[in-house]
Amino acid sequence: MSETSTRQEATIWQAEEYSVTEEPYYLPIGDEIPLFEAAYEQRIPVLLKGPTGCGKTRFVEYMAHRLGKPMNGAGDNAPRPLITVACHEDLTASDLVGRYLLDAEGTRWIDGPLTRSVKVGAICYLDEVVEARKDTTVLIHPLTDYRRLLPVEKQGQVVEAADGFLLVISYNPGYQSALKDLKHSTRQRFISIEFDYPPREHEMEIIQHEAAIDAGLAGDLAKLGEKVRNLREHGLGEGVSTRLLIYAGKLMAKGISPRRACQVAVTWSLTDDHEVQRSIEEVVTSIFE
Amino acid sequence: MSIAGELLARHRDRLAGFPGPLTEHFEAGLKALSPRFSPTQLQQWAETGVELTALNLRSWEAAAEYFKAGPEFDPATPWSAIEHLGNEAMSMAGDSTPLAISFVRSAPATLRMIGPDHVRQWADLGRRLYKGNWKSSALAAQFYDLSPDLFGVLRLSQASRLAVFVDELSRHSYELASACLTAAPQVLSDLEPDDRLPFITYAVELAQSSWADSRLYFERGTPLVHKVHQPLRERFLLLAAQVARGHNRSAFQYLEEAANSMAQLDPATHHRVVEMSEKLAVYSPYAAMDFIINTPTVLEVVRLDELDPWHEGGLQILKSSRDGGEAYFRLQSTRGEDVLENLSARVELTRVGEVLRMYCKALTGRDVHVHATAQLAEKGIGWSDEQRASTEGTTIYLPEMMERYHDKDENFAAFKVFATHQAGRLEFGSFDFDFDRPAVVLERQRPAREETSSGFVTDMERFFDLMPNRKLASDLFTITEDTRIDASVKREYGGIRKPLYRMQEEELERRPSPRQMPLRDAFVENMVRVSLGGSDFIEWPMEHSQPMALALGIMELMLRPEATVEDAAEATMRLYTLASSIPNVATQELAEGEWGNVEPMESSGQAMPMEGGEMGGEGGQPQFGDVGEGEGQEGEEGEADYSSPEPVDFRGDFKPELVQLLMKLRDGAEGGDAGEMSPADLTPEQLAELMEKSAEIDLDSLMEGDIDSSSGMFLSNLMKEAGTPASEKDHEKGEGEPTSDSSTGEGEGEEPLQPIVTVYYYDEWDFRAQDYKPRWCAVKESKLQAGEENFYENTLREHAGLVQQTRKQFELLKPEMFRKIKRLPDGEDIDLDQAIEWMVEHKAGVNPNEKLYWRRNKVERDVAVAFLIDMSASTDEEINKRDRQQDDGDYDDDPRKYLSWWVSKRRQELATPPKRIIDLEKESAVLLMTALETIGDQYGIYGFSGYGRDNVEFFVIKDFDERLDQPIKQRLDNITPIRSTRMGPALRHATHKLNLTEAKVKILVLLSDGRPQDHGYGRDRTEKEYAIHDTKQALNEAKRDGITPFALTVDRAGHDYLKTMCEDMGYEVVADIEALPSRLPTLYRRLTE
Repeated sequence: MSETSTRQEATIWQAEEYSVTEEPYYLPIGDEIPLFEAAYEQRIPVLLKGPTGCGKTRFVEYMAHRLGKPMNGAGDNAPRPLITVACHEDLTASDLVGRYLLDAEGTRWIDGPLTRSVKVGAICYLDEVVEARKDTTVLIHPLTDYRRLLPVEKQGQVVEAADGFLLVISYNPGYQSALKDLKHSTRQRFISIEFDYPPREHEMEIIQHEAAIDAGLAGDLAKLGEKVRNLREHGLGEGVSTRLLIYAGKLMAKGISPRRACQVAVTWSLTDDHEVQRSIEEVVTSIFE
Repeated sequence: MSIAGELLARHRDRLAGFPGPLTEHFEAGLKALSPRFSPTQLQQWAETGVELTALNLRSWEAAAEYFKAGPEFDPATPWSAIEHLGNEAMSMAGDSTPLAISFVRSAPATLRMIGPDHVRQWADLGRRLYKGNWKSSALAAQFYDLSPDLFGVLRLSQASRLAVFVDELSRHSYELASACLTAAPQVLSDLEPDDRLPFITYAVELAQSSWADSRLYFERGTPLVHKVHQPLRERFLLLAAQVARGHNRSAFQYLEEAANSMAQLDPATHHRVVEMSEKLAVYSPYAAMDFIINTPTVLEVVRLDELDPWHEGGLQILKSSRDGGEAYFRLQSTRGEDVLENLSARVELTRVGEVLRMYCKALTGRDVHVHATAQLAEKGIGWSDEQRASTEGTTIYLPEMMERYHDKDENFAAFKVFATHQAGRLEFGSFDFDFDRPAVVLERQRPAREETSSGFVTDMERFFDLMPNRKLASDLFTITEDTRIDASVKREYGGIRKPLYRMQEEELERRPSPRQMPLRDAFVENMVRVSLGGSDFIEWPMEHSQPMALALGIMELMLRPEATVEDAAEATMRLYTLASSIPNVATQELAEGEWGNVEPMESSGQAMPMEGGEMGGEGGQPQFGDVGEGEGQEGEEGEADYSSPEPVDFRGDFKPELVQLLMKLRDGAEGGDAGEMSPADLTPEQLAELMEKSAEIDLDSLMEGDIDSSSGMFLSNLMKEAGTPASEKDHEKGEGEPTSDSSTGEGEGEEPLQPIVTVYYYDEWDFRAQDYKPRWCAVKESKLQAGEENFYENTLREHAGLVQQTRKQFELLKPEMFRKIKRLPDGEDIDLDQAIEWMVEHKAGVNPNEKLYWRRNKVERDVAVAFLIDMSASTDEEINKRDRQQDDGDYDDDPRKYLSWWVSKRRQELATPPKRIIDLEKESAVLLMTALETIGDQYGIYGFSGYGRDNVEFFVIKDFDERLDQPIKQRLDNITPIRSTRMGPALRHATHKLNLTEAKVKILVLLSDGRPQDHGYGRDRTEKEYAIHDTKQALNEAKRDGITPFALTVDRAGHDYLKTMCEDMGYEVVADIEALPSRLPTLYRRLTE
């Protein structure tokens, strides 16, 4: 992680060229790695379910790295390109496929991220896919069954996916409203790997690694996570994410006192309700000296 | 002839006409006075007397007294005094003979008290009381009669104040004045001389403001005054007098309460309290008195040195707002309460309960509740202590308040330690004991010790059955398990370690010395000390060091992270064996040197501590039964009965056996697995046995009466507890939370169920003080009883046309729910405006906005509405009164015509009773409900009435979550006029109900027939402002919560106060009352469009 922080200038990638070059840290909780590998071998699309900040994106990055394509015969694999699209309410089909743009001579076609992935054989990760507009499902369906086709309607083309292409989507069943549920016809095109916050020991290891703090503090943070998640229904959504716990840990690593770090990274981030804040605060002060 | 003889001879004839004694008195008087005065003086004396006889018919009696007094004067009395006396008597007798008689009669004694120079002043005092009628004359005479006594306790100047008082009082009641006067000498003599004048001064003020209380004051005043520290009584009475001066009718009550409050205070503080009160009196004497009255209450919450800031806070408010300050010191202001709360170091459970609940929930991961311990004791399910923390498995019970320390934060930390320990029992599995599960750090001895493995209800019971002395076993298990829990808490929660250590230390310091105890008790006491981390605090006779060393080794195992509740149980068995081997004999005779500390004997997890020891057994399974006959041994000679150690405060009550029983019953009640215990499986016999043997149930303190009835009650309490999952329990909370639910019907099946009443407390706005009165009104919510069956349908039939019309109107609302949404990237059609804009931007080379489309979107109609119907007595009024008055005129000329009209009218009325306001309210409600059903808005219909702030009745006709079914339709019929209209709390409660719904649009419609009015809703019955301001405030609160309030009234005078009440909120005065049923739905439509 320190390499990242010492990077002086931003690196600019073409979307299809970007790949995870260094192996990301990922601590497997169950059999998600062999499952994903097997799915990839068989080119079965994958749906990752789980609450925010539990490590879905990290997992995809890790798998992209692990499933790199063979480099000129033997030796190390080159990482597999990974194209991530964070879906939002206004994301339409043409945002994914591509569109014509006007220029001096008339118009020019620009590929969208999905088209690029299909062409280069990348893993395309549509994060929070239910947020996207419904017309995107039209694209997803032919790509996720045996056809592996991407219709590019405006160009009157159909692109057959390159061999390495795989569609991965993520979905957080917790906070989306009933209106934004994933349609069954869509769901049933993916295998689902469920994620949850890691158990205490694992989470401790993750925090310890990511935040670079000692095992005691990491253990306490993991304990805090577990306790706070017991308060889920008090307007806390799914409870504190591993990501937030790591933030707290990182602040501690920089010398912020544990109680203060938890206050800003956990208590205040989670809720505005004064009483719930106070309760979390009390849990924090019970765990940290 | 002497001058006396001469005078006697001269007047004898004049006097002879009167009854005999007159001459004798004259003679005696002459004889007594002649040696002291000159002949001229004597002659003057005699003539005055004789003249007296001639004034009127009865004046000779005054003369008799005058002569009689002669010999009684003090020999030193100068002539001038007697001369004055004579003149005064003459002038008095001219007005009223009885006056003169009394005056002259008591003169000798009185002059002895006041000295000869004050005859005139004295005479004037009495004369002041004389108003020319016989009653006043009697009163004045009484004054003279009592004068010798009075001057025994009062100086002349003081007596004049008393005369002012009596005079004032006599304006109202001569009787009372006379009674007070009679009592005065005694009352005053009971007081210290210095207190007498202040006492009278207060009386004067009292007579002016609240004269009738003077009697009470004279009866009870002295002891009241004595309650105040002596040097301060004058200042105290002066303060009280200032209130009386304000013409306050309850002046005496103020005095009484204040004096009683003073009595509760340490006399040493009186000076400060009075001084502080005086500072307030400058601004408001009421505040000053209320300050004194409430000081003891305040001191319950804050320490003495915190009284100053509280006083100062109120003084500042008082300076800027008299009403505000007065409310503050009356303890009727939220601001005042906040100040107190901030000053007080005490932490109350009601204030922190919710935080602690979430805290415990976070820790345990269970849906626990937090309640006051008293509630657990009330249940009668085995817990009897009302103070100590405990848990029965689903709820954590804590003391109502914490005031161990002088600091709020420390007290809260203490609360947290209490809560954490109880939560720890849940989190670390104290109640999950499984008899058959092996322990981790100790080897299992359990099954080997068991004789039969049946007939038990819980695993805990089965375990305790192993040991004959259950009390000892239970105490030891509590110690080992609490040790384990404390160790786990310290390990898991580093942040709480500090306060926990502190509590343990404090606990160790206050524990009794084991040296005073019999040996086995001392052993257990030492175990408690060890469990508190105090291995250095062990006091144990060195000659018995071996069992102690073994015990310490076992206790250390409890600190291991991997220890489980089964380990605690195993440890208990071993400790039990050790304890049983120690005779319970007195140890006092041991010398100092023989007491000491013991080093623990290493106990590896697997090794049996008693292995190879002298009380061990064979091999790895030491015999247990033979040593463990605790009860048997206690009977032996020289041994004391075993008694339990003092409980450890922060750990509270631990009743694992009961908790397991409850959990088992609960599982059964929830219809669990067939194999599970159900309440029916537990026979009374089993229960009685359980009660008898369990050390956890203290039957004596649990309930009174014989064991059979108490076990029956215990059983039914348990069943009730197990049958109702804890989540349904009401919990005590502040605003908007129900505090109790009382009286569900008793004797089911016999009579109809009483409605369940839930009480809520709300603040009330005092516009004078510009502050809330905290928890001022009690709103009692209950379901309205069902009324007649067909009311709802009949109303619909009666208004069939209107129903049709409103339905249609409401159905029209539906299409309007579709709105055009613009600026969409995709939609039904291109929005021309946007398209043009796009073209322009494109030409200009800017990145154009592509959102060119529009589409119709179905807007979710998400409305919740609460209707609040005024059920005050005034709604009983008939609505067609006015019409009849108009008709009346037509028949004035012809009585017969009028009579026939009247008869027919009467007949008609009997057939169809005249409509009242309430009837229209009911009908409107019906129409509205049908209309609302068509559009599917959430709605609740409520009625309110009540009397006084403690009794605001809030009737649920239809709650938000109820569906419109037959019982609700019947409830509608029962909307009837009841009592007053205290709108504020009813509005607040309806607001609370609306807040619980999750609708986007919330509306509160208040339907009333007039302005708010209730007993105590304002200074007096006629005051409007208070009630109106409170109602306005309640409406504002609703608005603040995002609710649209709307007030609707049928009172024609409504415009006046609705304007004040509603200001910028919607309101309407329905001019034509009968239009209400049709108006209401229309209005609602307009409101929600």
